[in-house]
This record gives sequence, C-alpha cells and structure tokens, in this order.
Amino acid sequence: MQIYLPIAEISLNLWLLLGLGLGVGFLSGLFGVGGGFLMTPILIFLGIPPAVAVSTQANQIVASSVSGAIAHFRRKTLDIKMGLILLIGGVAGSISGVQLFGLLQRLGQIDLVISLCYVGFLGIIGGLMLVESVNAIRRRRGAGGSVRPKRRKRGLIDVLPFKTRFAVSGLYMSVIPPIAIGFLVGGLAALMGVGGGFVMVPAMIYLLRMPTNVVIGTSLFQILFVAALTSFLQAVQNQTVDMVLAGILILGSVVGAQIGARFTSKIPAEELRALLALIVVSVCLKLAWDLTSTPADLFVLIDAQGGQ
Amino acid sequence: MIRRTTLMLIVMIGALVGLRAHAAPPEGVQPPAQIAAALTEDVVEIRSTFAGAELTLYGAATGLQEGDDIVVAVRGPAGDLRVMQKRRVLGIWVNAAPVRFEDVAGYYAVASTRPLSEFASFSALRRNQIGMDHVRLYAPESIRRETLFGVRNVMVTDLGGEIVDYRAALVRNKARRGLYGEAPGGVELLEGGLFRARVILPPTTPTGTYDADVYLFRDGQPIATRRTDLSVVKAGVERTIYDLAQNRPVVYALISVLLALLAGWTAAAVTQRR
Repeated sequence: MQIYLPIAEISLNLWLLLGLGLGVGFLSGLFGVGGGFLMTPILIFLGIPPAVAVSTQANQIVASSVSGAIAHFRRKTLDIKMGLILLIGGVAGSISGVQLFGLLQRLGQIDLVISLCYVGFLGIIGGLMLVESVNAIRRRRGAGGSVRPKRRKRGLIDVLPFKTRFAVSGLYMSVIPPIAIGFLVGGLAALMGVGGGFVMVPAMIYLLRMPTNVVIGTSLFQILFVAALTSFLQAVQNQTVDMVLAGILILGSVVGAQIGARFTSKIPAEELRALLALIVVSVCLKLAWDLTSTPADLFVLIDAQGGQ
Repeated sequence: MIRRTTLMLIVMIGALVGLRAHAAPPEGVQPPAQIAAALTEDVVEIRSTFAGAELTLYGAATGLQEGDDIVVAVRGPAGDLRVMQKRRVLGIWVNAAPVRFEDVAGYYAVASTRPLSEFASFSALRRNQIGMDHVRLYAPESIRRETLFGVRNVMVTDLGGEIVDYRAALVRNKARRGLYGEAPGGVELLEGGLFRARVILPPTTPTGTYDADVYLFRDGQPIATRRTDLSVVKAGVERTIYDLAQNRPVVYALISVLLALLAGWTAAAVTQRR
C-alpha cells in the first residue's frame, strides 16, 4: 500500500516504512543505540530528499530517547549539571548546524556533505566496533589476558580554565570540554539526523572520564533536548519535518525497540555486536561507493529548496 | 529600384499574413478548423494514498481533413531550478558549475497522432514549444546580449556549446522521473473528428495549475488550438499538514515535537505496565 508523504512529496510503500522503523527500532532496543545513523541513510536510499530525511529523523529521535531519559531521571542515574553544560554546547551546535544545513542546501552541496559525514563516522565507528567485538570473541574463546585498567594521566583537559565541580560524576574539571562535545553532537544532530550518542558516550567515558553509570542517562538527557530543538528549528526554518513519515517511523521503532530489548538477554552479545558492526560498515561502504563510482548521469537537478 | 520596392512589399505582406495567422479570425469568417477538448477530471487531488494519476483528454475537431494531425501538450506549473554537473575531485564526485534555469515547467508531456517531425515544421514546434527538444529552457544568468555581425541584441550564452548538454540533462532527468515525456501515437483518432489522449501524472508530480493545449496541424503549421486546464492540489489530511508546515511553521514544529514526546512516553508507559 502506497502512502503519500506531504512534505517529502513522494509516495512510498507504507509497509516498507513500518518495517524499516521496526527493524531499526529492534536494533536500537537490542544494542541500546539510537539507530538514527542507520535510518537516515536508508531513507535517503529510498529517495526521500536528504533534508527531509535528516530533519524527520531528528523528530524520531525525540520519541526514541524520551522514555530512556525519563527512566534515568527517575533512577537519578544522570548528572544534571553535566547534562545542562553539554546542552549549552548542544543548543549552539544545533543552531549552527541548522544554519549550515540551509547554506549547503542553497549551494547544492548538502547531499555530498551528509554522505561524507556518514562515510567518516560510520567508517570509524563500524571499524572500531568490528575490531572490538572480534577481539572480545577471540578473548572468550582463547585464553586471552585480562585488560589492565589504564592509569589516569594528566592531560590537556586538566589545564583548561573555568573549572567547576560535578558532584554526581565526582569530577572537578573545566566546562570547556563538555561544551565542545555538546557543540559537536548538536551540529551532528542537525547535519546528519542522528542523536549522536555514538560520539558522546565514548567521549564522556574516555575524554571526560565520567563514571559509566551516569553516562547513558546524561547523554540521553542531552540528546532528547538537542533532538527536540533541532527538529523544531528544521521545521520552522526549512519546513523539512514530515509529520506523516515521522509518525510511521516512530510507530515502527517504538514497537521494534520493545521487541529488541526483550531479545537482549537471549542472544550472544558479542556475535550480535559484530553483526551490527558489519551492518554499519556495509552502509558506510555503500555510501562511499556512491560517492566514488561514476554516476549514471553526470548532471543533477536541484530545485529552489535545494532538494533533488 | 523597382525591384527593391517590390521585395520590400513582399516582405511586408508576408509579415501581415504572419500576423493574421496569429490574430483571432475576423467575425463572420468561418475558420478552417476548430477544436473542443475536455479532461476526464479537471482537479486531481493528492491524498494519502496518491500514487500518481491517469486522466484522459477527449476532444473533437471540426473540419478535420485527411493528413491532419493532432498534438496534445500538457505543461505543469513553472519553477526555477539549477542543473549542476558532477565533477571528480580527489576521487569523489562533486556537484559543480551550476546553471540556473528560470520558469521551467514542472511537468511536460506531449502526445501526438504521429511522430512530431513527420508532420510539423521545426519552426512551428520551436515557436509553440512542442516536443522534448523544444521545451522552453531559459538560463538568464548565462545569457548576454551582444552585437554580432552588425546585428544588435543577439543572445549569446556564456556556456557556448555546453548549454546544449545542460538542457539535455534537464530534460533527461525529468523524463527519468516520468515528469517529461513524449508519446508519438499517444493521440488516438476516433470516428467523426473525435480524438483522445492519455495524461499520466507520476507520484512526484508538482502541485499547481497545468495547461493542456491541443493543436491541429496542417501542412506543418498549427491551424487551430484549444486550451483547457487542470489543477493538481493536495487534499484532506495531506493538505492540512502541508499548509500548516508552510503557513504556521512554529505551530507545526511544536505539534510535531509534542507528538514525538507523547508517542515515546506512551510506548514506555504501556510496556512498563505489562
């Protein structure tokens, strides 16, 4: 059954979109990832204008992060102060990202920049995940030595000014790194239609050295607000949020996420993580192939709004 | 001297005749042929299940003779667009060298009784913009007016021969999406001067007013034309959503964010209760 998307202005198969939401939701429930990094490229493959795909995806992230954020808030497993400081950077990043998005659209380069960002990020993350999970599988099968925890070194982050105390995380550090990380993640949300958890969580653990029990809650807190703001700004400024598409994807993904979350305990985690890494790497390769292989048509049409 | 005057006279008469051909026929004089035409629908509504539309244009021509041909040209709402060329930079294909075209028809379809070149003169097709090779494609920024060989106001394109590639690319891209098309044999002649043609609108067809022009060709020239129009509009929920997004973006943005929050929260609440 075809359904016409009023903002994307194309008609797509309803079941395909529901299935996509379900599948990506399942993966996100299984691995605790947002899934935006898979959904947005697939939407673009389906022929949805990149601007609409990215903006609508920001809306979907609001739905997928709200329940997690509430749960962590109730359990108090989040650092509100850190979250707010990340958010300051995130708001600035999101606003700049939406402006940059509009500019690139007018220049006719938005597709290229989105693709390049995806190839870069998916390549790095997929590659790291693949290496990590292969190592983990090897370690479990073979004898494998235990990993020694690294000693904390005094780095650049410790000499930065504007230090403040983060009571929940037990840190005393400059506000500059969290603002910078928040800014980067906000910009990614606007440009790539991702929550940015895949960047923020490692950054919080390895750069900010936050305790792992508050990392997920704090990142969800920041993602929720940044995604809501991004979705709002894209809708106001570029009119690129498709409510019908968002509704279908949200419906599919919330159901999928619940199913995925139930499967978490039943399936060997390492093999699955390797599978996710393979999916991520193949999406990356597909995008990279499209960028470098000779296109079927050497000319492209770009309408007044910058869509193709 | 006499010869020159005669020549000028001939030219002037020619010009007058040319003008007469475009002007409305004078009262009382029966025109050689007349056309009437109607579409099966004059409003196409885009609703949530819209997946393109197929209409039929019915027409009748009086004074239709053996060897006459009928052409139906449907032109969709015009808009500006850019054509960019893909160039390889460091191994990556990058969009470059944009050319902006003004008032390009968003939809363009021509159906005719026979292939256009078999019955119509090049100039008649060009003048009336009939056929995919004759779509009006105007790139004002690449055009200068110059005096060439003593002739003033000659339009010269900065792109030189490349403009041909750009024009061809525009038509080709639109054709690939089903927005531009030519159907030789798409006009079916029925008995008694009646004819019909199919108009196929793809799912991505733009909204707005479409003109359907019917031409009767005799001896290479159109001797009668008739225009009827068609509008493609969003309707129902699709229209409400689209209008809200365009006219009240802040309200639309708030609603979409609130709906997302509500959906996520409801899903969590439902699963927690179980």
